[in-house]
Amino acid sequence: MSLIKKSQDISPPVLEENRRTPRDRAGLLSQLENDAPDIRRWAALDLVEFPDTAEVLCAQLAQETQTPVREALLTTLIKIGNPIVVNRLIPLLRSEDAALRNLVIEALQQLPEAVAPHMKEMLRDPDADYRIFSINVLDNLKHPQAPAWLQEVVEKDDNINVCAAAVEVLAEVGSAEVIPALSTLPERFDNDPFMEFCVQTAIRRIQGNGNRI
Amino acid sequence: MKRVLVIDDATTVRMYYRQVLEAQGFAVEEAANGYEGLEKALMESFDLYIVDINMPKMDGYTLLRSIRQEPAICATPAIMISTEGQVQDANAAYAAGANLYFNKPVKPDVLALTVRMLTGEKPT
Repeated sequence: MSLIKKSQDISPPVLEENRRTPRDRAGLLSQLENDAPDIRRWAALDLVEFPDTAEVLCAQLAQETQTPVREALLTTLIKIGNPIVVNRLIPLLRSEDAALRNLVIEALQQLPEAVAPHMKEMLRDPDADYRIFSINVLDNLKHPQAPAWLQEVVEKDDNINVCAAAVEVLAEVGSAEVIPALSTLPERFDNDPFMEFCVQTAIRRIQGNGNRI
Repeated sequence: MKRVLVIDDATTVRMYYRQVLEAQGFAVEEAANGYEGLEKALMESFDLYIVDINMPKMDGYTLLRSIRQEPAICATPAIMISTEGQVQDANAAYAAGANLYFNKPVKPDVLALTVRMLTGEKPT
């Protein structure tokens, strides 16, 4: 799902009523706390004119429950796209709310340069689920370092699901150079049938892809 | 032939379940996210859903809650299979409407046996 929508998709006339309120910084921040989701959603979208509100927008995202408002907040945060945004979005990968986590993953995928400085630390986090979510970010990050980061996971991570997630992404973004590292994985996990299948499938896909990186 | 819908965003995982289940005589359909899964579940008849938790567009919990609210498909059994291994993850899966919860990776014989059990299919 694309979080940045075409302008004609988000302007039904009836909702314009909710925009006939002050559009200055203070007014929009106030509307961000309004009980009506439509008003919060329009405020979130219009706050794109005020990049210094990124912290507030991220805080609102952490407590927002309505998907359309969440998507509006993330649309604005992606457009702002500065280090503050990434610093505040990354911790939301630990949220217990799966829907929020998945929206955050999609948002971070669109900020490759801002996310890149954090990725090594994210991939070494003690929490295996968090490492998997970080690998999910790499899935569409389109960063030239992605194959190298994933290869390091394959070589060093001791969690089978983390490695399987890395193999899945390497099947898409990896080149023939990663095949030796992949080939050692089944043995590291007692020749688990799932891991063997993942590795064989990834190698076939990489060989089919050719050397793309 | 019993039909299983596998809903998981990981291509390799879907292929793995397909290989295991087709070898046991099941017909397997795939969906790559919750929205696609719900659409297929509403359009076609299945005997079992296998559902991941973390997927783009619609997560597995939301999907299962949606399925359980649809009279035509609410009784179809569902297995939730995820990497998340905490007790609260299993509890959340059952609360959303899962009949069983497994941590990945699931051994092929366990998957086959469970799917046979939940679909009422005799061993091949």
